Amino acid sequence: MSVSITCPVCGKRKGYEFRFGGEDKGAKPEESVLADPAAWCDYVHMNECRAGVQKEWWCHKDGCGTWFCIKRDTVKNIEVK
Amino acid sequence: MNRLKNLPTLQIDPEKKISLRYKGKSYEGVQGDTIATLLYANGIRVFARSLKYHRPRGLYSLDGECSNTLMEVDGIPNVRCENTPAREGMNVKAQNVLGSADRDFMAFMDKMSRAMPAGFYYKIFHKPASVWPLVIKRIRKAAGLGKMSPDFDMPGAYDEIYPRADVCVVGGGPAGMCAALAAAEQGLRVILLEARPRLGGSYDYRCTQYHSVSGDRNMPLCQRARELAEQVEAHPCIRVFAHTFLTGVYGGHVLTAFQQGGEADHFTQRYVEIRTESMVAATGCTERPLLFENNEKPGVMQPGCAHRLARTWGLLPGKTAVFSIGHDAGIEAAIDLSDLGMEIPCVADVREDGQDPLLLAELEKRQIPFYRGWAALCAEGGKNLKKVCLSTLNGKHQKNFACDILAAAAGLSPLTGPLTLAGAGLKYDSHSGFFLPEDMPENIHAAGHLLGYEYPPAIESSGTLAGLWAAADCGVSVQNAVREISEEMAALPGPLRGSKFVCGPVSGKKTFICFDEDCTLKNTDQAMAEGFDVPELIKRFTSAGTGPGQGGIPGHNLPLYVALSQASPDSSPRPTTTRSPLTPPYLATYAGSSHDMSKRTPVHDFQAASGGRMERVGVWNRARRFSQNQSPKNKSDDATARREIENVRNNVGMLDASTLGKFRIFGQDALKALQRVYVSDMSRVSEGRMKYSAMCNEDGCVIDDGVVTKCGENDYYLTTSTGRAGMTAEWFRFHSRYEKWDYHIVNLTDAYGVINLAGPSARRVLEKITDADVSHGAFPFSAYREFSVQNVIPVRAMRLGFVGELSYEFHVPSSFMPSLWQILEEAGKEFGIQNFGLEAQSTMRMEKGHVILGSESEQRTTLHDIGLGFLWHRGKPEAKTVGASALAHTEKQKGRLKLVGFKTENPADGVPKDGAPIADDRIRGYVCTCRYSYSLKVTIGMALVEDELAAENTRLGIYTNDGFAGEAMPDSGEYMKYARVVPMPFYDPEGKRMKM
Repeated sequence: MSVSITCPVCGKRKGYEFRFGGEDKGAKPEESVLADPAAWCDYVHMNECRAGVQKEWWCHKDGCGTWFCIKRDTVKNIEVK
Repeated sequence: MNRLKNLPTLQIDPEKKISLRYKGKSYEGVQGDTIATLLYANGIRVFARSLKYHRPRGLYSLDGECSNTLMEVDGIPNVRCENTPAREGMNVKAQNVLGSADRDFMAFMDKMSRAMPAGFYYKIFHKPASVWPLVIKRIRKAAGLGKMSPDFDMPGAYDEIYPRADVCVVGGGPAGMCAALAAAEQGLRVILLEARPRLGGSYDYRCTQYHSVSGDRNMPLCQRARELAEQVEAHPCIRVFAHTFLTGVYGGHVLTAFQQGGEADHFTQRYVEIRTESMVAATGCTERPLLFENNEKPGVMQPGCAHRLARTWGLLPGKTAVFSIGHDAGIEAAIDLSDLGMEIPCVADVREDGQDPLLLAELEKRQIPFYRGWAALCAEGGKNLKKVCLSTLNGKHQKNFACDILAAAAGLSPLTGPLTLAGAGLKYDSHSGFFLPEDMPENIHAAGHLLGYEYPPAIESSGTLAGLWAAADCGVSVQNAVREISEEMAALPGPLRGSKFVCGPVSGKKTFICFDEDCTLKNTDQAMAEGFDVPELIKRFTSAGTGPGQGGIPGHNLPLYVALSQASPDSSPRPTTTRSPLTPPYLATYAGSSHDMSKRTPVHDFQAASGGRMERVGVWNRARRFSQNQSPKNKSDDATARREIENVRNNVGMLDASTLGKFRIFGQDALKALQRVYVSDMSRVSEGRMKYSAMCNEDGCVIDDGVVTKCGENDYYLTTSTGRAGMTAEWFRFHSRYEKWDYHIVNLTDAYGVINLAGPSARRVLEKITDADVSHGAFPFSAYREFSVQNVIPVRAMRLGFVGELSYEFHVPSSFMPSLWQILEEAGKEFGIQNFGLEAQSTMRMEKGHVILGSESEQRTTLHDIGLGFLWHRGKPEAKTVGASALAHTEKQKGRLKLVGFKTENPADGVPKDGAPIADDRIRGYVCTCRYSYSLKVTIGMALVEDELAAENTRLGIYTNDGFAGEAMPDSGEYMKYARVVPMPFYDPEGKRMKM
């Protein structure tokens, strides 16, 4: 948890205070789309796992409780702008 | 040994004696001694035996860079005695010896070194293959340093601290102190880390004159160190962590370190994790070992070690010291030790020229012969040093000198560990002979001696400059100051030309490039001959640099030696990768102090006073049962909580359910949020009514259940299971994160307490304490009412039936809980009210077939699996309910574990334990909860079993090893108990009792 994360409400805080919420995959598709098990699996379980900068969700669980997106360099494990 | 007195550099208090025990004897030292200096003062020269060859090893450096002085202290193995302060009464033991460090019965291993070439264990003992398992045991026994008893209880107190800084400076020498001051002067928060117990670095033990650039400040270096240290310590923006070792540097500028506690500190060691905007490494240099035959014999030490022994601890290392050096600080040490009373027969310098002429003049003044282009070739003697053979670099001319100390170094190497951990690369610099950082990451700076500066004002200016750059990283405008200091630096001497000499013409058989792993130059040559020709491969083949010192000794010598051997213009070997921890802390330090945090409900003390057996359930303390005091005739403890159960079934009982998760969710989109996370159609909850429902994750696996109450327009109150309370708000928000919904969720778990009043007489108790109409007609099953108790306490009441009797849940503000508890106890007296605990609750709800998630479910259990599929409303696709798609996919899926009720065939067999496997020729499921039912006089339970076994009346075999009863399995001490699948609920199947 060496990453420091900027919460939109509380500012830059240490990574221990946050919960990772996965890659930003966009809003959940309609149920009619997810009726196909392969489409459901793609949405729920498949990730890009990018080595580099990716947009992802974090929750300031030990702070204000907000969910928000940051861009993180997964190689250096630092937040980027 | 007599100590030198009245030196301005001393860090000991000769008046305060301390003693420690070693080899069954008491050894006396003084306040300020480390364990190593205390023993050295008492004539101890051999501190340990080496790993492979059991060669005697002595004091070599004073910063714990090698395993030479690792000892067992008070039962803790591998303590770095060089930088561990001695304390009164310590018990010290030598390691890796059979006998003692002086007389080690394993010393014959040294003669066997020919039989152990590099990588010998990869090559021999493998044929025949059957030999290897035997040999591996012997090798494992011989390998490793230090022993630890499995029963050892680590003494001490361990703490952790997480400070924030704008600038963190690593190294409290002159450059580090100047960097810290420069940044702090800009109003920034600075943290300064220093590995030694006090600030000062290379100034701290030197009395050479310091002249400032302006010429107005002239004083000995040690006094300049104190002057800077006082400024640093007095500065309100600088926080100093002394005796603190950096362990790691991580992305985003997180620095980890550990601090050694002093006698006044409350911790033995503490973990320090610093978050900073910018970092300055001013770690200085260490002396690069000179390689020659027997270069690790006791008596051979770094010039700085000899110098500091005398200057800091008042100990002359011996009588006669030969110097073989490659840097000016070595000449300075020889001059100073000569002045302090040592005989210096000669100083050999690997450099032909480039020495500071002032130092050479001082040598001449003292008539110390100076040999240019000479170096030590061989150290001789038994356990201790007797003479040294010096030679020209090509080996043509040799000379022997008798001595008891050889101060040897080939030159300097910069301490680049923090920089490489931060992500900088290393590149060989032919001017300084250093591997210097290149491609420095953003916001990381280097300063001082490690860049090759040796002239004191240049070191200080380079520190100030780095401090200003660091300030710039924090957004401070420092252009003018940077320009000023850069101009000043341009006028000062730059980095000096350094030596890259490694060794003279030696055979290499007893020339140790790595002390910890007993790795010689010959081993290195063997590795290269085998094709392992770069430092990273040599390290792995020979294990050089893999010992406790982690490359502290071979670090920069290995690549320099490899470069010499490769004879190719393209070869550019680099030091091996540095990894954290740079210095190893205790595991206890990482474990930290165990902050065991738990919560108590508002009526905790009442329950404890009533004989409640309180135990931890998650973060809470809860009453498991009250049975021990309820049976005055039968003192034996009843773990089944029979009396509590019977009292609820026949009279009335009360349970503290305050640990339930409690939430208010309100706002115009509150219903949308509920529809998203609950599987049921929550729009059907009308005002004043409740609905039991469940939440699933996207896999359709059930994660929580609870009751949702509609209190008003767009205003709901909901309960969750105890364990999910902490996650629920986050869960709601996560699943509506893409929506612009207007709703709020508030966690009321700690703000409200809950009392469950249950039993046939529950209504009669309630009628006594409220004026509200609570008759069955006015307050039916599954209804929600708000009223006040005794016209004061606001109660949110829910009529539920978890335990299967007429039952109410009262939710009241936590501050009213003690009053309501007492009011209920008082009002219930005439009906025989008693407390009941978790055990009774669990048995009674099981009799009703009600699940507790976590007991009757696991990670992969879906809503369908536990028979709650009816809660799922499939007609609300617009809600995008979490898990709905997976519930559709898994509805008819085969091969899942299903929840069933069972009854054992023979109650006399006893009760299978929760978790017992259900098996025939293989495991087919497991028991979730199983109890003897006093209400039904049978043993019943719930189990998750393969769907093929879920049909009614299927016979289940429950595997037990309790040795009680059942059918013995052939050839084993294990038993099978048998049970039949029966329908649920077991108790009151029509639910008449809870709807009374």
